[in-house]
Amino acid sequence: MQLQSRSYDAPDMAQAIELCYARGWTDGLPVIPPTADRIESMLAAAGLAPDKQVAFIENRQVSVTAEKIAINAVLAGCKPEYMPVIVAAVEALGDPLYGYHGPATSTGGSAVFMVVNGPIARELEMNSGDNLFGPGWRPNATIGRAVRLIMRNTIGTLPGELDRSSLGHPGKYTFCIAENEAESPWPPLHVDRGFRREQNAVTIMAALGPHQFSNGLSSTPEGVLTTACAQMRVSAGTARQPFYALVFAGEHMTVMKKAGWTRDQVKDYCFENTKISVAELKRIKLKDGAFAAEDEKTLVPLVHSPQDFLVIAAGGAAGVQSAYIPGWGSRTGSQSVTKEIRRP
Amino acid sequence: MTVQIYDPTIEAKGRRINYAPRPKSLEGLRVGLVDNSKFNSDQLLTRIAAILEKDYGAKAHIMRRKRSAGVPPHQEIVDEFKSGCDVVVAGIGD
Repeated sequence: MQLQSRSYDAPDMAQAIELCYARGWTDGLPVIPPTADRIESMLAAAGLAPDKQVAFIENRQVSVTAEKIAINAVLAGCKPEYMPVIVAAVEALGDPLYGYHGPATSTGGSAVFMVVNGPIARELEMNSGDNLFGPGWRPNATIGRAVRLIMRNTIGTLPGELDRSSLGHPGKYTFCIAENEAESPWPPLHVDRGFRREQNAVTIMAALGPHQFSNGLSSTPEGVLTTACAQMRVSAGTARQPFYALVFAGEHMTVMKKAGWTRDQVKDYCFENTKISVAELKRIKLKDGAFAAEDEKTLVPLVHSPQDFLVIAAGGAAGVQSAYIPGWGSRTGSQSVTKEIRRP
Repeated sequence: MTVQIYDPTIEAKGRRINYAPRPKSLEGLRVGLVDNSKFNSDQLLTRIAAILEKDYGAKAHIMRRKRSAGVPPHQEIVDEFKSGCDVVVAGIGD
């Protein structure tokens, strides 16, 4: 296997890690030095030749090859068997519907929220439960991190240069979960998006940070969603938000399951109950202009259509918390994308 | 023992991009303005067009709005500017 990338020599492993820092290849945390044997194991696990182009980022005129993906996957601390998930996520980054340049560059500060579905999530022992967005699981931590390092190192999305986030958020280190398909009230997310249950798939969405909401009083979907909608209604920007992910954890999952609510019912309820009046938007300074008589009665939706809510089942079994995750920018700027994860 | 590590960044291929030749003067030229859809971008571009016409002699202007700030102008805009404009103003930040 012939690697094409430039190489550098370090006297030992500790100094190799320091060399990675010195060359600007890390997110601030230590990395695993990308040696030839580690890179080749990554490529073999995905069944890809080093020069295989996985994505072409149009705005940056950057070709992302399997070799560069493998190098960054090593840096991130991935096991070789994670590599097909990362490859699929990079394919999704290159999809024109995702529109890489906008969310990667914007002052709006989005991260790449990734949801893994299918048998591979269980095989890799990805977390879909307790401490869902927190630390502790190698595949969640390192797959998401590998995607960020590819964005940084290979596509050139460097903070302060072509990543102009005003604030960013911690999900820009890693933001990767699996869905809890076994206990979900609904078919898996990827089935909802056109794949078969036994296929493996990853969904990406340009996303702000997760906002936790708590409701321990309600035993009905309407009750739980009333709290979610009240918080989402005022959470969007001046142009409203293009997408929202809704992540329902254990006890709220059970509420949905007992009531037999479908995903579409959740989406429709949220669509109707997150509408806000023009008057309120003007009061909270999310819309300009003088108040008009009809403003109190004129309602503006949060998202373009009910299908712009991504409804996901994941999170710890105990507790009355769930989360909503606002998307980034405009609907024409970036859409969520699902790609099949292929293994050799 | 020496450790050999591989570079995750891309190597520049040395491709050259030729810029369009700059006109010596804007006198009598038609200006195209790319509105990138950012808040107030149309107002800023309208003022720029007024300056180009008043102070630099540009003849006329047209402004067209992109579908989103993060994507290139769509083909209809490119075609219209190619056929109806001599110079184009693009690039509005936040």
